[in-house]
This record gives sequence, structure tokens and C-alpha cells, in this order.
Amino acid sequence: MEERLGSNWLVADFFTNRYRISGRLDVRHKKLAAQLNDHTTAFLQIENVYISNIETPAEIIASHEVAVLRKGNISAAVVQRQEDGLLREQTYGSYLGTYLRKVFLAVSSYEIEGYLRLSGKLDLRTVLTTGTDTFFPVLDGKMGSAVRPGTVFSGGAILVNKEHVGVFFVEEE
Amino acid sequence: MAKILVIDDEAELRELMRLVLTRRGGHQVVLSAGGRDGLKKAFADPPDLAIVDVMMPGMTGYEVCRALRDNPKTASIPIIILTARGQPVDRDAALAAGADEHLVKPVTMAMLMEKVDEMLARRGGGEEVGGTLVMLSLRGGVGVTTLAVNIALLLAQKEAGEVCLADLSPASGHVALYLGLRPEPHWGKLPPDALDPQAIAPYLLRHDSGLWVLAAPYYPLVGRTMEPGTARAVLDALAQRFAALVVDTPSLLDEATMAAVETASDVGLVVTAEPASVQTAIGTLRALKTWDDKLSLILNQVTPGPPPPVSALEKALKRPFAAVVPFDPAQSQAVARRTPLVIGDPDAPLSQALRGLVEGFGG
Repeated sequence: MEERLGSNWLVADFFTNRYRISGRLDVRHKKLAAQLNDHTTAFLQIENVYISNIETPAEIIASHEVAVLRKGNISAAVVQRQEDGLLREQTYGSYLGTYLRKVFLAVSSYEIEGYLRLSGKLDLRTVLTTGTDTFFPVLDGKMGSAVRPGTVFSGGAILVNKEHVGVFFVEEE
Repeated sequence: MAKILVIDDEAELRELMRLVLTRRGGHQVVLSAGGRDGLKKAFADPPDLAIVDVMMPGMTGYEVCRALRDNPKTASIPIIILTARGQPVDRDAALAAGADEHLVKPVTMAMLMEKVDEMLARRGGGEEVGGTLVMLSLRGGVGVTTLAVNIALLLAQKEAGEVCLADLSPASGHVALYLGLRPEPHWGKLPPDALDPQAIAPYLLRHDSGLWVLAAPYYPLVGRTMEPGTARAVLDALAQRFAALVVDTPSLLDEATMAAVETASDVGLVVTAEPASVQTAIGTLRALKTWDDKLSLILNQVTPGPPPPVSALEKALKRPFAAVVPFDPAQSQAVARRTPLVIGDPDAPLSQALRGLVEGFGG
């Protein structure tokens, strides 16, 4: 097993319409996707929080020990490692019988491209309407900012908020 | 054994790094939980290398980097930024702040050790290079900027980022263009007073390779050049801040060029086989006779065709060439792509010719 300088905390970038919010959350008992899709609370608590304006995404304009984000305001969450962004049913040997399909999404003020991991025929409406999960992972994702063309955020997985999806394209097979 | 300063607010990670760096690397480790405390420790007893987190309360890692670079005691220590902010914009911000490497958490211990060893080797190993190299020709179009940019990049590869390239042209110099950098800010905006390393730092650009650049104004300055005294102060400050400084000078012996020549450890006079260039070089050698001992001739073939008559030219100029740079058809594409040849094609004839020249610089 790979030896890592890390812990039970996961650092992720959360993107709203105006801000890039970097913070860590405890993932010992619940993975990020599960926390974002947990409908018992509309909020997500993160710690060690650093905030940037989306126009200047590397410049830290504020920091706080703890912050609570309204999940409905999060357009996307970016994590570096794919496994940190997968849904529960996509982990633990669920690679069998699945395939990747390239997709493109316009989400609020971002354009996202990457891959959906699917086990059956892709039906766009199904992806957006079926199931209770609000956030779904786009793998090996690249997210461009509409307010700052040329700036790209990438990650092993981008958890996208279905409610913010404006346009959803699938590339030809 | 090296002394490594680790500045990170996460106690668990600090302790883990201490274990890894001491047990596996055999290094002495100094720990600090915050930027201000880390700087205090660094200034009191400068480390051989610093590992700095970005997201820390009170002072960000970028601010720590800038403060380390601004203090002559710590200006040249290698800095690794270790952060969970791993986007390309974050890497650019880290390099612009003065870091030499940008590692993204979670990082494997093997990767961390590899980077630490690499940085320490770059700092301690290899031949020492250093000083101020001025690239000059009073005849335009002989490739001075091309050579200056490529030489500076080669030096930056040897000196782990402690190299600066200054473009003194008052007429829209092209150093930034060749490197694909936006020349903003540039030396035209420097304040007239207090030109020390700290004051100049915000006016420097950072190329992805780690090379620092003092860019020339994007638009030609009308009726003026650098203010009297400014050129010398700027060059002194840059020489103080960087292990090696390369200066691309305009095609005239104005105050800025003369300040550069006077403060230089080496002056590379670029000449082509074209008669006008040779005649200009003869005149330049005469004009700069006082600094004869630091002048070297570089023959640059800028057009295709048979090799230049090196012996005949040396006879006309009454001195040998320190380097002969052959024509390289890839050069025009390198400019168009904003990727200088020593990066885009290290084996290109131009890259090879300049590598030999750089080995001897400051030796």
C-alpha cells in the first residue's frame, strides 16, 4: 500500500458562483460524496478554510477555522484523487462491467468536461433525474471558469451539483 | 545532513515529516507551526531548505516565501511549497512567490524525499556559476535577446531558480515575449527611490522554469530611458538578490548599458559574419577597451548558409570567439511557440553551443 503523508482528513476545493473555497473535512466515517448527498442536512461543515475570489483563484482573501457551506450553493467540488470523489456504490470492486463515457457540462459559471462511469446505457435524463443523490462525480475532470477564460481547475474527480447543470452533452461513442 | 525547516500548521503532518526527514533522510529538522514563527527561525539560523504549507492561519505560505526571498540571509535557500491547493493557478502563484517546487498533498513519502534530495543536490552539487553576464551588440538583429534568454534558462537549470534575466531595452524589449510572459509589471514602473532587493521584488516576473525576469516596458518609452542612477541601483540590487544575473542590453552605449558593463563579471559581445556587424564589433571593442578583460566574443549565425569563416573573422577582430553558435532553423518556431530552444529542444545545435559557454561563466 502506498505510504502517504495524509490522514483521515480530505482537502477539497468547493466552487460557488463567486468563490473558490478550500477546506478540509473529516472523511473517516463518511466520504465526501456521501456527505454532499446526505439529505438530513442542507449544510456541510469544513475546517481550515481558505477563500479566493473566482476572478483571482490563487489569491487567498480570507481564512477561517471553521465554515459551514450551504450545499445548494456549491456548484462543484474538486478533489485530486479519483477515489476521494466516488460515490459509495462506485467503490470497492465496482469496476467490473462499467465503462467511461466522455461528457461536457455547463454548470453555473463553469464548463466541465470529463468522464462518467456507467454500467448501462447512458440516458442523460436518468443521470440528472433518477436517484436521490444531488452530486454526481465526473472523473478526470477539467473545469474552466467562464469569468476567467484560460483558468482551468482539474481533479481526479469533480462532484457536480445536478441542480446547477444548465447544459449536458455526451460525446459520440 | 542538511538542516530543513518545515512550516506547517498541521501538527500530525509536521511530526510525520520530522520522522521521515530525520530517519530516512538523516537530516536535522526544525519545525514551526506558523509563518511568523517560521520566519523568525529562518532568519535567526538560515536552513538549507524550507518546506512551507500554503494554508496557514495568520500568514499564508506565499507570504512566507516572499519574506524569505526578500531577506538576503534566506534569499537563496530552496523552498518547496507543500499544499493541498494543487491547481495550475496555485503552482503559478507558488512560483511567483519565490518557491522552487510545488508539491500537492497528499504526497507520498518517497516523492517528498525525492524532491528534498533533488533540491539539496542542486544547491550543493555541480560547478558554481554566478556573477553578472551582460549580452551586448551595437548592431541590431544579431540575436542578442535569443542568446540572453537561452543562456539565462541554462543558468537557471544549474542554479535552481536563483537566476534573473533583466531586459534593459527602452524600446519594447522582447525577453518577456520570447518566454511567453506578459511584461507587467516592468522596470518602467519602478519607483525612483529605495531600489533595494525588497523594493524590486514585486516588479519581477517568474517563468515556469524558475527563471526570474525583469521585463522591459511593453510600449517604447518616448524621450526617456532609465532614470539616471536607476540602472546601477537596479543591477546592484539584482546582483545582490540572485546568484546569477543575465542582462539583455539595448543596441547603444547609453547610461543603462554602461552601468551593466561596469558591474558585469562577463560581457558577451555578439557578432555575426555580416560586414556591418563585424565593423560595429571592432568599434565596440575599442569603445569598451577599459573593460577588455571581461569581454568575450560570441559568433552567432542568424541566417542559413555555409558556416561562417571563423578564422578570418577572428583575425579581423583580433581575438578568438568564446563560442560559435550555428544557425538553427528551429529558432523562429521556438519564438513563435514562446518556448526557447534550450527547453523545447535541449539537443538543438543552438542549445549545445550555449551549454558549453554557460559552463565557463563565472568560474
